[in-house]
Amino acid sequence: MMICDASFEGFVMNTILPLTVYAGIVTSIFIAFSLMAGRVLSNPKLDLWAKTETVQLFISIASVFFIMIMVSGFCSADISEVASIFGFTTSSANIYDAAENYLLDAAKYAHNAMTVTRYHLEGYTVMSYLNAFMCDFRTGQIGWGCYFGYSGANQQPFGGYGATMAALNIFFNSTIISFFSAMNFLFILMFVQEGFVTLFLPLGIFLRAMPYLRTFGSLLIALALSFLIVYPLLLGVLGIMGDVLLDRPSLVPAVGSGTPLGNYLYSCNVPNDYCSGRREVCECRFPGEEGAGSAGQSAEAAISGSDVVSDTYFPGGPNPTGAIMFAANAFIAAVFFPSVALLATIASVTYIARMLGEEINLSRITQMV
Amino acid sequence: MKRLLLFLFLVPLAFAWQTVAALAMMTSFTLLGIIYMVGYGFGVNELKIMAKDELFQMIAVVILMVALIGTDSLLNAISTNDFFIEGDATTMQESAGNIINDTREEMVAIFNTLNSIDRSASIEASKAAQCSIMGMGYSVSGCGGYSMLATPISMAGGIVGFTIGELSAMSRFLLISENYALALLLPLGIVLRTIRLTRGAGGLLIALGIAMHIMLPAGIIFTEKLYDTFVSNDDYLEDYVPECIPKPDLLVDVDGYSMTCASGWTCRLPDGMDAADAMCPSSFGVHFDCNPGDTGRGNANDAINGYNIMRSSLREYLVVALLKATLGPVISLLMMASSIRALTALAGAEVDVSAISRFV
Repeated sequence: MMICDASFEGFVMNTILPLTVYAGIVTSIFIAFSLMAGRVLSNPKLDLWAKTETVQLFISIASVFFIMIMVSGFCSADISEVASIFGFTTSSANIYDAAENYLLDAAKYAHNAMTVTRYHLEGYTVMSYLNAFMCDFRTGQIGWGCYFGYSGANQQPFGGYGATMAALNIFFNSTIISFFSAMNFLFILMFVQEGFVTLFLPLGIFLRAMPYLRTFGSLLIALALSFLIVYPLLLGVLGIMGDVLLDRPSLVPAVGSGTPLGNYLYSCNVPNDYCSGRREVCECRFPGEEGAGSAGQSAEAAISGSDVVSDTYFPGGPNPTGAIMFAANAFIAAVFFPSVALLATIASVTYIARMLGEEINLSRITQMV
Repeated sequence: MKRLLLFLFLVPLAFAWQTVAALAMMTSFTLLGIIYMVGYGFGVNELKIMAKDELFQMIAVVILMVALIGTDSLLNAISTNDFFIEGDATTMQESAGNIINDTREEMVAIFNTLNSIDRSASIEASKAAQCSIMGMGYSVSGCGGYSMLATPISMAGGIVGFTIGELSAMSRFLLISENYALALLLPLGIVLRTIRLTRGAGGLLIALGIAMHIMLPAGIIFTEKLYDTFVSNDDYLEDYVPECIPKPDLLVDVDGYSMTCASGWTCRLPDGMDAADAMCPSSFGVHFDCNPGDTGRGNANDAINGYNIMRSSLREYLVVALLKATLGPVISLLMMASSIRALTALAGAEVDVSAISRFV
């Protein structure tokens, strides 16, 4: 059940609103008892408390209706029309879908970066372990030193990728963090859309009217308001920036020198049946993994020279700097900007709670971001 | 009449976001009026105070809107100020982009050089000679001395790779700023700031737009100027610019003046050495050549010689890698992050961006 589905509307009408009404009635009863007790006992403190709570109850109920109106508005608003106001174009979707689309694309983008980096790391690792025996007294590829015995030098023709792999390892870790962050922000969004409203709004209204629990009640309403309105709105705005931020529609940047990075994702040089027609899960694999390929290459390398091995794995040449740049871009798209959206949401929680009459310190939660 | 109609039709299109902002403000004014009336009617002072407070916020939004429209030329004036412009660039944003891209190209060149050295050294280090006839023979690894080069080269690769990533992220920031800071983030922030509920988010977008458009490129140019001043300092040249080294078949050891190498690096030319006989330490990769069957001192000396040359050339790389490519972007990003906090406070809803600073 997603927030803009027809089933959600039924859920709001049949579950949330009745719960809200019950909470409002119970609170009103408490207030009425307090008012009566204040009058009977001639206690001005109880009288004042009841009047104050009446205003707070009005604010709580107004907040709930405001949330409903905003959610309904976000479900019917088209992000492409919002973008067109500012002179941009983007695909048509409501605000919640636009927010979800951004995070899905950010996750794909980070995953693409992870795949490209992984491919390079795998390639360099495989090549680093390749050993060659170079016979002495060579004429071209033929070493006469092995003719009567075994005389020559053992060496690793592709042994020197330590510097490249050190750099790529850092960014491989970074892409994993980027991917997990994007998924984390996506799960927050989905949880907000499905979980917050059920509990937080009715409970918030009830608790706001209870002595000593107003802070908690205000926090619940503020959380619902911020995460249902501010968080998806900011992610939707990031979606408008997706052409640059995520290199839409390919989700692969044109960076670095050498082979285009998309070749490591969609147009594998090595035939890979698993990839055909399944663009979203396609990853290049090495021929060595396919079975007889490595033995054939070894024989070919013995005759033609070791370059044939690197040509097989990186036909257009490797692009390690491109992989590094891709990983850096993925960090910006999947970690930095969504974090900014979450920070703004948390700031809004504090701000709305203050508006609801309570001061809440969320600096600890901010530090967890 | 037709012209007037056309003008009236075009005005909302030309000022689309201003129209949306004005509509949002009108709605807010209406709501404020209702809240004030409710407060007045029921004698609730809190509601009246809230309505008045909001009215001041609305006035602040109007001032922001007027400032944005009015200071567009001011932002352009800052962007095109001579102090901030270098080379062929026409704006400070372009200038900052050029600086970042140039530095990144330098780092990519260093990365490629390192990779080349790494390959040469590692191939030599992996060599082991074998000889066997009639089932008898020996195996010897005379090039083991070269393996000591792998660790420092690998560390250097990690550092240089990191700087490439950092500079790419900066470049992406500038691209986003160029496309969206003034065209989307700033006006949308003003629209969102109009509504109390989204004031925090609006303030953050305004701050992000201004910080990315002005503070980030200004920070990049500022640190670039500091770097230029530092490397042109005589003390730096004397103490930290490495000596040129003789080409492989020459051995001369006296100091003197400087020469510019083909790669753009500078080295000090020792007295008595002709520029034609000298080379930059960064060109040392050509020296590696090991005979795996030689267990004498020859291979070890070559490896140590390579290590010493690499060490002396390190200064060339360090100043760029650490100052220009690492510290410079860090300072620029911190300037941007701290200005976001200050600007959000100015916009009426301070956002704690310490989490963003920690990314740096």
